[in-house]
Amino acid sequence: MDITEYIKLVFTDYTLRTITLGTAILGAVTGMLGSFAVLRKQSLLGDAISHAALPGIAIAFLITGAKDGNILLLGALVSGLIGTFWIRGIISKTHLKSDTALGLILSLFFGFGMLLITFIQKQPNANQAGLDKYLFGQAATLVERDVWMMALVTGICLFVLLLFWKEFKILLFDADYTKTLGFNTKFIDILITTFIVLAIVLGLQTVGVVLMSAMLLAPAAAARQWTNSLSVMVFLAAIFGAFSGVVGTAISASENNLSTGPVIVLVAGVFVIFSFIFSPSRGLLFKQIRFIRNRRDLQLQKTLSFMFHIAETHENIGHPHAIKILNNFQGFTKGSLQKLVQKNYVKIHGAMWSLTEEGFKTAANLYNQQTQKNE
Amino acid sequence: MSSAQIEIQLIASLVAIACAIPGTFLVLRKMAMISDAISHSILPGIVIGFFITQDLNSPLLIFLAALTGIITVVLVEYIQKTGLVKEDTAIGLVFPILFSIGVIMIAKNANDVHLDVDAVLLGELAFAPFDRMLVYGVDVGPKSLWIIGTILLITVALLIAFFKELKVSTFDAGLAASLGFSPAIIHYGLMAVSSVTTVGAFDAVGAILVVALMISPAATAYLLTNNLKRMLVYAVCFGVISAISGYWLAHFLDASIAGSITTMLGVFFLGVYLFAPNKGIIAVMYREKQQRIEVSLLTFLLHLKNHKEKSERHVNHLNEHINWQKVRSKTVLDLALKNNMIYIDKHIVSLTEKGEGFTSKAITYIITNKDAQIEDMKDDFFLFRG
Repeated sequence: MDITEYIKLVFTDYTLRTITLGTAILGAVTGMLGSFAVLRKQSLLGDAISHAALPGIAIAFLITGAKDGNILLLGALVSGLIGTFWIRGIISKTHLKSDTALGLILSLFFGFGMLLITFIQKQPNANQAGLDKYLFGQAATLVERDVWMMALVTGICLFVLLLFWKEFKILLFDADYTKTLGFNTKFIDILITTFIVLAIVLGLQTVGVVLMSAMLLAPAAAARQWTNSLSVMVFLAAIFGAFSGVVGTAISASENNLSTGPVIVLVAGVFVIFSFIFSPSRGLLFKQIRFIRNRRDLQLQKTLSFMFHIAETHENIGHPHAIKILNNFQGFTKGSLQKLVQKNYVKIHGAMWSLTEEGFKTAANLYNQQTQKNE
Repeated sequence: MSSAQIEIQLIASLVAIACAIPGTFLVLRKMAMISDAISHSILPGIVIGFFITQDLNSPLLIFLAALTGIITVVLVEYIQKTGLVKEDTAIGLVFPILFSIGVIMIAKNANDVHLDVDAVLLGELAFAPFDRMLVYGVDVGPKSLWIIGTILLITVALLIAFFKELKVSTFDAGLAASLGFSPAIIHYGLMAVSSVTTVGAFDAVGAILVVALMISPAATAYLLTNNLKRMLVYAVCFGVISAISGYWLAHFLDASIAGSITTMLGVFFLGVYLFAPNKGIIAVMYREKQQRIEVSLLTFLLHLKNHKEKSERHVNHLNEHINWQKVRSKTVLDLALKNNMIYIDKHIVSLTEKGEGFTSKAITYIITNKDAQIEDMKDDFFLFRG
């Protein structure tokens, strides 16, 4: 199937259109809110919340007996919030650290959820089939109503985000200052956490409990590499998320036996790896290039200054010296000598070198210049 | 009890012990989430191992999966070292990606692989007794029992051999390094043990329960003691008790054994979290309240000492001047009376000799910036606490 054909199919085929739209919206909203999770150093909270939501789904099912998606999501939201606040309670009231609290709530809630789900499955109730789709997610079960729901929640998220943009931003970067300015930090904190929980719960049906944390983190981590501005980062993360959703859906739709969730996560992972390597300011590639260039510069300067100290002892700067005497010196290579010649700092006559006027001046001011530059 | 039931409980208990030991150190080293990451990211290792051996219990599969666990740790540390993202983000990125690769590998080969993601993640202890280990045709017990028993034996041997090193490096990495223990070797050793335990246990109890069994008993024990040896013993006890009680809960509810063991772990943690003598929520809240009242008492006594005039020492003045509510001022007043710090004569409050001594001493401590000493002083002066 080629690409144009696929795109045509996205617009005509109901299932494909629904899934593509759903995953795109989901990616956008998780990317948006994930930026806050990443910057608040709460990356693993997403993982904990998504696991903690499981018993809520099961209990909601036990109470209502119906498999209405929205009610189950409400249950997930409540139990996710309980998990989040319990984590906070453990961290603030006991001496257990945040990682222990997260792992604890994650595994305990999940285990309890599994207990409930297996308990439900043994019940003589034909309606319960498919509860475990929340474990790994099944994008194929998305219907138009779910997409509308997602769009609605995304809209609310966006609205609240814009409304409280200033507050969120300042809380993110300087919590103490926010408090002294008189903002109700607790309220802002709870608001943003609630929305993160909401985004996670929305994604459970599509990508599942286990992989949800990657949906939250990957777009944000990728976006972080390209910018230092919060607004740009949130925007980029939303786009990366949406793209991962669309591309992931396309790949999984074009092959047999590929579940959508893991493919989306892998696509998001590719975004992350690409950003880690190729981002111009923070990326590993350019960092390495800068590192090598700096080292070369340093070597060049070291050689030059060594030559300078030799030339200094003679009355005539241009007095020729043997290249041999440089050999035992660190930082000297044939290449660096060649470069010095190119820059017209040094002249070579056979096996002898001599410093030029220009080279002498540069070498004498080597460290002064640097200090000036730094100022 | 049938022999299968006894075997299941035995396996569950051994898994609990094998998990509690590395878990204790993970919790103390603030690396609890690493165990979660490992438990997920071993999936591709398991799948590849399964392709090769077609046997979930083969040593090669365990080795490959444990290797994946170590790779996870190395990857997380590498990403963290680049400084591009924080450690927690690095963990959160690595394990879902590895897990996804595992899921996709299973999905692509669904027809020829008899391996289920659910099984890896959730495990099914109930089936463990059916996979027997045969030595020269003689049935010597369930395979998983032997696997987890071996792992436990190795873990205990390593623990005893390197207890001192582990202890020092956990609580003071700098000292450990200066004493000549390589922090890297201990770190990766612990990671290797955790990975192997996770892999050995996942077949029986599933990856998520492994995390629960590693972290919860250790966290519960940590709320009860600060002594490492005791913490290890408590953690093992909690693990085993939850494993056995969890089995019977599952038996009773006819639900997943792994789920019920986790639930029991949760119940124990919740109980200790609420009622632990010193660090439980209730104890902490009670202490906070006590402190609040005692601080009020101190303020009140200092106020009395500062004012000789009668109007300032009238009982009703308390409410107005220091802006306390009635109940609170009454509590403070009662406490002061009970402790014989003050006497009330015609609604005028005065310090007793003991009260004078207490406040003078408190002031010296406050002036010399030794506020912490006031806590010790309270023990000397107070008959009744707030």
